[in-house]
Amino acid sequence: MPSEGLNPSDRPRLLRDLVEIGSDVWRSRDLLYQLARRDIRIRYKQAIMGLGWAVLMPLLIVSAGLLIRLAMATVSGSTLPKGTIAGIMVKSLPWAFFVGAIGTSVTSLTANMNLVSKVYFPREVLPIGTTLAQSFDSLIGATAVTLILAFLGVQPTLALGWVPILALLLFLLTLATALFLSCANLFFRDVKYIVQVLLMFGIFFTPVLYEPAMLPPTAAKLAMLNPLAPLIEGLRLAVTQGHSLLEPLTQLTKHGVAVVWQPWYLAYSAVWAVAGLVASATLFHRLEFVFAEYV
Amino acid sequence: MADAGVRFENVWKKFHRGEMHDSLRDLVPALVRRAAGRGPKREELAAGDFWAVSDVSFTVRPGQALGIMGPNGAGKSTILKLVTGILRPTRGSCAVRGRIGALIEVSAGFHPDLTGRENVFLQGAIMGMPTADITRKFDAIVEFSGIEEFIDTPVKRYSSGMNARPGFSIAAHLDPEVLIIDEVLAVGDFSFQQRAFGRVRELVNRDIAVIMVSHQLDRIAELCSDAILLEKGKIIRHGSAADCITAYVLAPARTAVPAARSDAPVELHDLKLPTDGTVRSGDRIRFAITGTIAPGGLPSWVEGIVITVRSAQNGRAVFSTSTARVGTQLPDNGEFELTVGLQLNVPEGIYALEAKVWDRERGDSLPGLAGYLHVQAGTDFTGTVQMNPTMSVSPSVSVRSATG
Repeated sequence: MPSEGLNPSDRPRLLRDLVEIGSDVWRSRDLLYQLARRDIRIRYKQAIMGLGWAVLMPLLIVSAGLLIRLAMATVSGSTLPKGTIAGIMVKSLPWAFFVGAIGTSVTSLTANMNLVSKVYFPREVLPIGTTLAQSFDSLIGATAVTLILAFLGVQPTLALGWVPILALLLFLLTLATALFLSCANLFFRDVKYIVQVLLMFGIFFTPVLYEPAMLPPTAAKLAMLNPLAPLIEGLRLAVTQGHSLLEPLTQLTKHGVAVVWQPWYLAYSAVWAVAGLVASATLFHRLEFVFAEYV
Repeated sequence: MADAGVRFENVWKKFHRGEMHDSLRDLVPALVRRAAGRGPKREELAAGDFWAVSDVSFTVRPGQALGIMGPNGAGKSTILKLVTGILRPTRGSCAVRGRIGALIEVSAGFHPDLTGRENVFLQGAIMGMPTADITRKFDAIVEFSGIEEFIDTPVKRYSSGMNARPGFSIAAHLDPEVLIIDEVLAVGDFSFQQRAFGRVRELVNRDIAVIMVSHQLDRIAELCSDAILLEKGKIIRHGSAADCITAYVLAPARTAVPAARSDAPVELHDLKLPTDGTVRSGDRIRFAITGTIAPGGLPSWVEGIVITVRSAQNGRAVFSTSTARVGTQLPDNGEFELTVGLQLNVPEGIYALEAKVWDRERGDSLPGLAGYLHVQAGTDFTGTVQMNPTMSVSPSVSVRSATG
């Protein structure tokens, strides 16, 4: 094996791969910036919506959420609880980010087939670039949501300090998924269709439009198994309820006392994000050199 | 960079002919087969596999320019992809030291909806140029491309010839230690091509390692010191550029014509060129061809020996003559030596010299001998084609009076 022969090292292979990925991406930071800029420019060029794009997706999610919650409230003969609008609004953003980033990343390698087969650069930059471009959209969306929350009377609290941590974990988790799926789609072109369907129905299995506490206890626990769930729920609790994520939170429901939050939920998602990123980045990196042959 | 350069050691690269399994449905059976240990090993050929590059070794040091030539599908581009790191060898090792600059697919990263300016920054980054460098060289790049007025127009409105110009200009402003060139010199219009070639020559002269693939053999002859000739992934010749170009151009001359007459009445043994093959334009050269005529004598269909001078750049015959045309009789039998004198009224370049027996009945020649001449600039060169013009003027009876 020539690659091993050229690069003798006593470090374990995983660590060596990670160092290589890190230095590859760092050296390609200008390219990363240009690719993200390209994606953003193209999206806003010649588009009627302009910056409205960034708000459209969260807006639709919020409308759908309100409709469902209104229906539920009507059936149970109660009224829409205060704070529901704010909660759904906050949770629509991370979900819109995830769906948008995965939707564009899954084809990021195959859409740039010409580059992948003809020009050398670390291929990681393609899915990372699309994820970064999506982050830009989400920042615009976040600005809009912040303004609306202020209008709705949500008070800023110290718990807002959790927002950057949650955003970072969400970014890493999304990146891990994006790297894995873009690579998988390069080898198997049916992956993007499967991803489309999963993203479409994913909103039912992720607590975006509902809170896990609204489910029976077992279902609520299962819902929190989704690595996105603690991030999304945590964001709602921190922003709209000013809850510190280091404290557990319970809520009285028809079924008794429901656990709304446990500090280890966050650790659970963090493990998924970091381990997932290490695993998918390593897989991506090791397969990278055959991309040109399979694309 | 003292140790910059490219070194290939016994490089093999396997490719698959036909479809790979590219849906999940096909993966499962393939994985099962591999798990059962019945799948092909990585370094061996399975059904449908072939060696796109087999056992290729070469070294390119700084100041050296290697030309790679061969027919389509010979493995030229695969070798370049191995150099740039897009592909990894199945066996053997490819070592590349130094910053690579690749003049390959120079506009591959262009997005049609972005303007020329935006694309320059994007493509530059794809080629590995830091954004700060592009900003610094931006004006020079745009000026070189000659599309200043369209720089803020989306690239989709460019004509196809214009499209490649900014791409080449960016590539031309890279500062590489190892330069890879693949068929990009045919970009743009005539004046742009001249400028592009001048720029490449400038880069080549910078004492960097250069590897170049081109079907424009005269470009290889001019830029490259060494060359390799590939056929079906194998190096069939490795030597000076002139040597390889000749071998490449002569390959069809030696093999294409089947020996229709197995009992050739004339056998040509040797074509003796005067020097090492290097002559000056306009020089008179003499060379000798030795052969044997079969005891039975010359049959009527043998018209004589044809001498052809062929341009190595395009394979076209620039001059042709024969013993019959000059009026020289070949002997009835036995060994002979035919001495030919030619004034090389041809421009600089590489030329193949062929000697063949002409078959009058079939209107074709038998396989013959060939050598090559590397013609350099000379002072006696008086013109490519001698038309020996003569003119005279005399008063004509039918000229009408201007005052009439």
